[in-house]
Amino acid sequence: MSVDSVPANREFAKQIGVTFPILSDFKRTVVKDYGVFNEEQGFGNRATFLIDKEGIIRHIDEGNVAIDPTTVIDACNVLQKKKASQ
Amino acid sequence: MYKRLLISLGLLAVFSAVALAQQPAPPKTHLKVGDKAPDFELRATDGKKYKLSDFKGQKNVVLAIYVLAFTGG
Repeated sequence: MSVDSVPANREFAKQIGVTFPILSDFKRTVVKDYGVFNEEQGFGNRATFLIDKEGIIRHIDEGNVAIDPTTVIDACNVLQKKKASQ
Repeated sequence: MYKRLLISLGLLAVFSAVALAQQPAPPKTHLKVGDKAPDFELRATDGKKYKLSDFKGQKNVVLAIYVLAFTGG
């Protein structure tokens, strides 16, 4: 997700070969709700949230840490294992 | 000559450090692990609308926010 328009994200996705849908928060409401809106620059700061099936946040990566997906992948695996053991 | 160059480099380093220190720290989210994720409904590149609460009881969701399209990282 980014604050870019749908057509901009579509072109970006095409250029980098992304196959999953990218969300557009053009009105900046979601970045504000999630507390990552950068008022000075007008965009959402880099962040990754892992939300479980019950809608509860289970992991947060903010800033440059969020470039590396390893930690959120680990958190996903923990969630999956929990589910498997239930 | 070298002395002048060294002084220039030294000053550059100091100014750079000051400039970096003055950069506003990126806002830290008020959300914490264990909080309820705020619901949202957004249009995606495939033309569909995605609502977070539609995934409730169905799937875990990774919401990855990147700075801007056509930029690295």
